[in-house]
Amino acid sequence: MREPKPEPVLDRLVHEPGRLAILTVLSSVTDADFVFLQRATGLTKGNLSSHLTKLEEAGLVAIEKRFVRKKPNTNIALTEVGRMRITQHWEQLDHLRRLSEHSP
Amino acid sequence: MERTKLEMAAANYTYLRGLFFIPLGVLPIVSALGNTGWGPLRNTWVFLAVLALIGITCLPINNFYNKHYGTLRASAGQQARAAAAVVLAIVVVVGGSTLLRSRASWSLDLPVNATAVTLSLVILLSYAAGRVLKAHHLIIWGTVLVVGAIPLWDGADPSNIGLAIVGVALMVNGVFDHLLFVRTFGAPAGLEGKGDNARA
Repeated sequence: MREPKPEPVLDRLVHEPGRLAILTVLSSVTDADFVFLQRATGLTKGNLSSHLTKLEEAGLVAIEKRFVRKKPNTNIALTEVGRMRITQHWEQLDHLRRLSEHSP
Repeated sequence: MERTKLEMAAANYTYLRGLFFIPLGVLPIVSALGNTGWGPLRNTWVFLAVLALIGITCLPINNFYNKHYGTLRASAGQQARAAAAVVLAIVVVVGGSTLLRSRASWSLDLPVNATAVTLSLVILLSYAAGRVLKAHHLIIWGTVLVVGAIPLWDGADPSNIGLAIVGVALMVNGVFDHLLFVRTFGAPAGLEGKGDNARA
């Protein structure tokens, strides 16, 4: 007898729209700074900062604070775990979409 | 959630910083004038000084984009596509120019403007390789391609006219790229915190 396929479970940490936007943008670059992420996601500075803290605590992004021409610069990159989680999450969403298309 | 739009943010940032094309568009025009020995540009030192000036003009443009729109490092895939586009560009410009119109024995020696044809093709291919080919690219570079391919370029070598056309097209293209960049990422002064890169 065939085992039933496991039901897709969405990753709540990744699924929040702001964090999903951040991780999706970061998945297409090696790394990016805070201003670029703010521009690309349209989040406010406070929101972006808060989401990045949560993602950093969960080990999904690596944040490096440095000085560029004597000005503070925050650089963000996806970790291996973060890359895997965002890839899996989009796969889950695609799977759900296909299921909804085929359901009567 | 527009996944594609978010995934394309990096490519749009890399390719659509159009203000660079305004000083860079001067380069082929100055080259064309230098080749024809026009005015002070026939002096090599004046030509080199203009080149240096173009380079210096790019610095504040780079600072403008970095300050207001941030910075990024492209993904390995994007870097590989850019490198492949450069190799392809060299092949198209050298091979295409020689094939279309040159003194080589195997040249077709067509009455076309090989410079305009090959450079417009290269620019279209580079935007396509970056997956950011837009309608205005097709219109501007398609026009240059058609103008260059019209078989009316008899007589003297039309390379310098081709260079001048490409220079003007680059500047126009740059204006449209920058307008699209601002539409995509917002006005320079529109960011909360005004380009403050320190994390809140």
